[in-house]
Amino acid sequence: MENKQYAAIKKIRKVVFALVIITFLIIQLYPIVWVFMASIKPTTELSARPFALPEAPTFENYRNIFAKGDIFLYLWNSVKVTFFSLILIMAFSSTMGYALSKFRFRINKKLYSFLTLGIMIPVQITLIPLFIFYSKMDILNTTFSLVLPQVGFAIPLSVMLFVNFYQFVPNELIEAATIDGCSPYGIFFKIMMPMAQNTFITIASMYSILIWNDFIFANTFISKSSAKTVAMGLKDYVGAFGNVDWGLTFAAIAVSILPPMIVYFLLNKHVTAGMAAGATKG
Amino acid sequence: MNGILKDKKAYLVFLVPGIAFYLFAVFYPIIDSVRLSFVEWGGIGPEKFVGLENFARMFKDHVFYESFFNNIIYLVIVVAMQLLIGLLFAVLLTYMNKHVSLVKTLYYVPCIITTVAIGQMFRSMYATEPMGLFNIILDAVGLDNLVRSWLADINTVLPAVSFPEGWRFTGMYMVIYYAALISIDPEVSEAAEIDGANAWQTLWRVKIPMIKPVIVLSLTMCITGALRGFDIPYLLTNGGPGNSSELMSTYMYKQAFASNKFGYGSAIAVFIIVESILAVVILRFVSGRKKD
Repeated sequence: MENKQYAAIKKIRKVVFALVIITFLIIQLYPIVWVFMASIKPTTELSARPFALPEAPTFENYRNIFAKGDIFLYLWNSVKVTFFSLILIMAFSSTMGYALSKFRFRINKKLYSFLTLGIMIPVQITLIPLFIFYSKMDILNTTFSLVLPQVGFAIPLSVMLFVNFYQFVPNELIEAATIDGCSPYGIFFKIMMPMAQNTFITIASMYSILIWNDFIFANTFISKSSAKTVAMGLKDYVGAFGNVDWGLTFAAIAVSILPPMIVYFLLNKHVTAGMAAGATKG
Repeated sequence: MNGILKDKKAYLVFLVPGIAFYLFAVFYPIIDSVRLSFVEWGGIGPEKFVGLENFARMFKDHVFYESFFNNIIYLVIVVAMQLLIGLLFAVLLTYMNKHVSLVKTLYYVPCIITTVAIGQMFRSMYATEPMGLFNIILDAVGLDNLVRSWLADINTVLPAVSFPEGWRFTGMYMVIYYAALISIDPEVSEAAEIDGANAWQTLWRVKIPMIKPVIVLSLTMCITGALRGFDIPYLLTNGGPGNSSELMSTYMYKQAFASNKFGYGSAIAVFIIVESILAVVILRFVSGRKKD
């Protein structure tokens, strides 16, 4: 009898617990699911019954933004910025990490502290000087104007991730390679780089998402419509207090968040590990 | 930092390109910001050196004070949501046996969505025309007198622009705390239970104190993040109505890029960085953490 009662209490507890977890998940995910749902509703249905399941699903909003065409240009701009930034971030930080952890020079410790300090620097401090510099050089509205700060601000954490990894590569291995006649360059390309594959993936996955999502740099340095990134393009369908075409906006949001979602669901362990390192190692 | 290679030329080849890029992209703008904070410049013509005038003006500017105090309220809301909800959910997950990684993966999703999209989602949820999600829920539970346009009401706009930022990063702190909690040696909590502690006591007296270093670190990052809060308030209200949701960063941005007061904007930017450093120092001092 008592056993039965105990089992019943246990079961109730389990159900309550599951419900609590599900409630948390709904709060976290509902707005996003809602965007996808709203994007396949016709405009009339969206204003009349915004929170119901779509009754007559339609891809008209998508057809409209694709017909308008701008979004392809914006996507392409985002791809360029993300691609060039990633290449530079990985090239600079993998080599710097190697210099700082596998060479014996006394200045290394100080340099490393100086660099990791950069994790705490707010990006806002660089906006005005860079804006002035870009306008003097006449390079506002270029891919480069976004790549420069993106790479600069990614270097400290990326170098830290590489140093953390390289420290596990035993010095004996490098010594043995040196004795076999391998140069410091050969050691980097033949030993360090292949071994650091996971670090490369972590940095690439995390920064591809962060750079793709950037708003503040793009909003400051880009004013021409033809140079807009996809995040900025989401504001195209919205006027300050004018009529917002929500259907188009939601379709554009859905398109723009798809690439980071794909990266995230394929590599989520890497993404979360990288971001967590950024939030706790500063 | 204990390498063995001594080839100086190779060392420089590996080190210098990255350092040079970093100095140019991050360090030079910081120095230039400090320099600009001592000049008056409207975007054209020569710069005029004005000494500390920008800072003197800043400390007399009532909008600056308003944005400072707004920023403190923003910080409290954002930090409370990110850390408390993150910690609560991480603790709940430690009692879960199945599907933990699926739940974690899904819970984290808002962290990877651009602030522009989040801004638009919340703009539609706060609206009255058409009725947004918040107002529909309030109406449904009988609190229809609370229904309002959350972003247009000066009494609700500040919490309304803080909430999305708190919401979107709870997942990240959850992941951090969960990792810390499950890395605690199970023998420690078993020992506490043998000594007669119940689950609640084990949690508060043993587990939470053990992850205190992680909590302090994440608190540091969370506070400095909130002190520079920009995207969502800027996108949702641009500081309005009036200055009722103005933060330090949005005010700096407006002064520089809408009013072309590059000197004054830089002075505010310098204040933001000094304030962030102070916050970190104070926090380290209070938590008694030695510099490692």
